[in-house]
Amino acid sequence: MDLTAVHTGISDYYTAKIRKFGATPLGVDWTCLPTQELRFVQLLKVCDFTSPLSLNDLGCGYGALLSYLDRRHAGCPIDYVGVDISQAMLRRARRLWRNRRNASFIHGHASPRPADYSIASGIFNVQLGQPPDVWERFIATTLDQLHRTSRRGFSVNFMRAPTAGTPERKGLYSAEPEQWARYCAAQFGATTEMLDGYGLREFTLIVRRRPVS
Amino acid sequence: MGAFMKEDDIYIGTFLDLFNIRFAPTPSSADAMTVFGGIDEITALQGEFGIFSSKRPFSASAALLGLGGIHKALAKNRWLELLRNLPDNGDQQIADALAANFRKKPPLPCYMRAHDARIKGENRVIIIESDAPLFYLEQKYLTISLPMAPRRQPAKKKAKKK
Repeated sequence: MDLTAVHTGISDYYTAKIRKFGATPLGVDWTCLPTQELRFVQLLKVCDFTSPLSLNDLGCGYGALLSYLDRRHAGCPIDYVGVDISQAMLRRARRLWRNRRNASFIHGHASPRPADYSIASGIFNVQLGQPPDVWERFIATTLDQLHRTSRRGFSVNFMRAPTAGTPERKGLYSAEPEQWARYCAAQFGATTEMLDGYGLREFTLIVRRRPVS
Repeated sequence: MGAFMKEDDIYIGTFLDLFNIRFAPTPSSADAMTVFGGIDEITALQGEFGIFSSKRPFSASAALLGLGGIHKALAKNRWLELLRNLPDNGDQQIADALAANFRKKPPLPCYMRAHDARIKGENRVIIIESDAPLFYLEQKYLTISLPMAPRRQPAKKKAKKK
């Protein structure tokens, strides 16, 4: 399935956001810095920070993760690559982090380099006008790419599906926690872990490669 | 406090609502129409980041949480200025009350409103624990009431005598 239209739609959406709100949480469609960073807290649970690591940040936006890493994990050398589909977003990121060592930004919908870990925050939420089957193909393809480019594991988050009888929010994608965990376990032979109950109406899926015996 | 808001005093209710939605009782259903998570979300944020503390005035936390809204920068700045200038260090009083509330298990939802500062003795932040500010909700809150007074109209110039 050709996902060009999906990628173009995402790029247009986030380009408009960053142009309107600048390099702020609102510019990447989050309510505020604390909720943005609470998601980083969950997603980064995939990482072992006791030794140096490489990290791909898919849908990196203006590189907000870097300032969080600098505050919370300053003791761990991290080789960071941010990947984003919006050129406008990347221009902001490169300007903001031009003096930071061990950080680079790449345009695209997948990382060209393998890393120890990958994370992607909020990239599956805004479905825009895409039909569900197309959007789920986009999700599956992205998960495949994340798995291929992550030597040790990756993590993503999803909005939690509404309870029966309550309407879905138009234009947003939500999922049952088990759905994509099952997909990753079956497709990649990986171990999966679900994190929820952290105050946000979503869950974080952590996918780890099984150690080679 | 109308002096701080000037012509943006019409948005005071909106700013109070922004707080009251974020600090509201968490809706019982996982309705995706609900954008914000209510008191559970704020509790989680406080647990992780210690947003409210004796070392940070409430106005700083309000800015961090986006409680000044996103549509009118001048009104937001005036609102934050108003908070910074609450009498008797009210800005810090609010932060201290919230920090104490979030140490409780479970913390109470919080409700912010305004009262008339022109009444004698009322030009101060009033904080009431385990309050019931909304008669139509059987829900206990931590209520924070801000002193407000209308802005003074500029004095009219006297007409010149002919």
